[in-house]
Amino acid sequence: MIEWIHPGLIFIFGTLLIPVLRGKWKKAYLLLLPIAALIDLILMSKGVFGAIPLSVWHIRFSEYVLTFGRVDKLSLVFGYIFVIAAFCMTLYALHVKEDGHHIAAFLYVGSTLGVVFAGDLFSLYLFVEIMAWASLFLIWYRKTRASSEAGFRYIMVHIFGGVCMLAGIILYVQNTGSIAFNAFDWGFGWSHLASYFMLTGFLVNAAAFPLHAWLADAYPEATVAGTVFLSAFTTKSAIYMLLRGFPGVEILIWLGAITAVYGIIFALLANDTRRLLAYALISQGGYMMAGVGMVSGTLLAADGAIAHAVCCILYMGLLFMAAGAVLEMTGRSKLTELGGLYKRMPATFWLYMVGAFSIAGMPLFSGFISKTMIIESAATMHLPVVWLMLEGASIGAFLIAGLKLPYLTWFGKKEPVVEAREPPWNMLAAMGITAFLCVFIGVYPQALYGILPYPVEYAPYAVGHVVAMSQLLLFTFLGFWLLRGMLHATPTITLDTDWFYRIAGKRFIWFCEKPLLDFADSIDKVLKDIANSFVWFSRNPTAASRIMVLTIGAVVARPFNPAYMRYERDLEELRRMYPNESVHRVAIGTGVLLVLMFFTLYLIIYLTHGVLWV
Amino acid sequence: MEQKKYLFSIFYVCVAASVLAGVLVHVFISSHAAFVWQKIPGFSAIYGFVGCILIIVLSKALGHHWLQREEGYYEKH
Repeated sequence: MIEWIHPGLIFIFGTLLIPVLRGKWKKAYLLLLPIAALIDLILMSKGVFGAIPLSVWHIRFSEYVLTFGRVDKLSLVFGYIFVIAAFCMTLYALHVKEDGHHIAAFLYVGSTLGVVFAGDLFSLYLFVEIMAWASLFLIWYRKTRASSEAGFRYIMVHIFGGVCMLAGIILYVQNTGSIAFNAFDWGFGWSHLASYFMLTGFLVNAAAFPLHAWLADAYPEATVAGTVFLSAFTTKSAIYMLLRGFPGVEILIWLGAITAVYGIIFALLANDTRRLLAYALISQGGYMMAGVGMVSGTLLAADGAIAHAVCCILYMGLLFMAAGAVLEMTGRSKLTELGGLYKRMPATFWLYMVGAFSIAGMPLFSGFISKTMIIESAATMHLPVVWLMLEGASIGAFLIAGLKLPYLTWFGKKEPVVEAREPPWNMLAAMGITAFLCVFIGVYPQALYGILPYPVEYAPYAVGHVVAMSQLLLFTFLGFWLLRGMLHATPTITLDTDWFYRIAGKRFIWFCEKPLLDFADSIDKVLKDIANSFVWFSRNPTAASRIMVLTIGAVVARPFNPAYMRYERDLEELRRMYPNESVHRVAIGTGVLLVLMFFTLYLIIYLTHGVLWV
Repeated sequence: MEQKKYLFSIFYVCVAASVLAGVLVHVFISSHAAFVWQKIPGFSAIYGFVGCILIIVLSKALGHHWLQREEGYYEKH
């Protein structure tokens, strides 16, 4: 009797059969895997499972134990939502022909589940790395030049994050002698260096300002279905890791609030629909980070961060699905090239709007019941600036994802600018299920609140909350309608912190290759000249000295002595006689051979006599 | 066009309802205010409107004068 099957392994080993199956069987199999994982999750009891002491593998430090299955309330919530999201997204991606795309997606989902249930730092690191590499292929499968370049930058940033994590893990293990993945010590000073490295690694994955640029750079370049997968797993698993490792760290409150506002500003400037949504995703991550930071003040913040992660996975997935459907059907994703599509894709529009109302936090939609928990925590902790920033980011989320994007895509022009029709059934069905879940959680929040780890009394539908949020969003619409002329898209890109590794990095390499290398060459040349003059001198030191003396003599004597011509003649004669290339030159190979022979001889002598002499 | 008018009339009804509800909440339900501004009636409406306009104007100014570049910027530089 097997007491525990890792749900991640269902996905990871499930990929083996994908290339074997064909047609309907393959589609059924792809949908069956997430369902199997969900059943596995439901049957799972809480506890610690799958602990493997490293001594099993005959590794010397046997006191370390790898824990693949830490099952508690926190990991279960994330497990559930990841598996449910995987089902919806697999349905959305069902028409994708490439097996590799499905395999990459399932490895990505499986390793994310590995992260969620990892109880030690080694297996955590292992799964984070698999996540990074598997997700890379969801970008590369777009098979454009832009996607291949963005993919390279994406993996570079994630390697940086991974190395930070690894450094943190090594330092942590050195300091404590334990590899258990629990809350890290926090404070200021060198003794907390391990925590700083770990936090940096986590924040790269969470796309916190200023380490967020990889997300807005790479996600819009991924495949249509790939972006949908990417939107759910990397950032939300990072929120999970932050909740485990750094609950209540104050800096996260501020980082989160800044990220939430920053994402909104950049989303407003974006022209590509999916880049706009990527910035909205970064902004939503800011709420959760702020929630993780506020755990020190109230446990409502922890529940809020988790609930918001769950809701965000659903509505962000839905928004990316709908924007992806437009890209799939029209081949266009730039707002400047879209408009008037409502006549052709009304169903997609209304499904999109469910996601838009959810991200805005409109009552009866999912964002409302989770986002307000985090904002309420800021009020409980008396953080006025944070409260205003988060509330402002709510306005912004509605403005960009709820108004600007749909207005310029589905309306804005009288006639459709491009021929289009509704996407295939599987995409519509996936959007329908996700939209249903968004509304379901919004209408019946107890379904979500019931599985949250901390017992917190929170009534989202208190009259005051509903009225305040309604006013906020209705008047946001008013502001939008007045200034809609200013919101036209422009065919531009926006500089972000990736400028530092895309342009400054390039310039640094130019500096190394040009001025720095030229300088090194000139030093090299001077040294070679000096060496050559020694070589010249040593060929015949007596004659060389005479030449030098005569040369100086000729220069000095010229103005005074009319007989200086004699010197010149002598000098010419001497120079002609001087041995020029008389030194026998040996090819490098011969030289190396001689050296090797010498060393071999030395070795033989050493081995025989050395031993004898002892 | 008819549909648009219809939708806007719904919108105006919602605005009126939310403002009315706000006033009622303010008068009848005395919830504790965490911050000073929560005592202002209709603060959310004001913040929503002003916030929206500020976000649009500030972002556009930032983008126009500093951050936005032509497409292909990274290929050229």
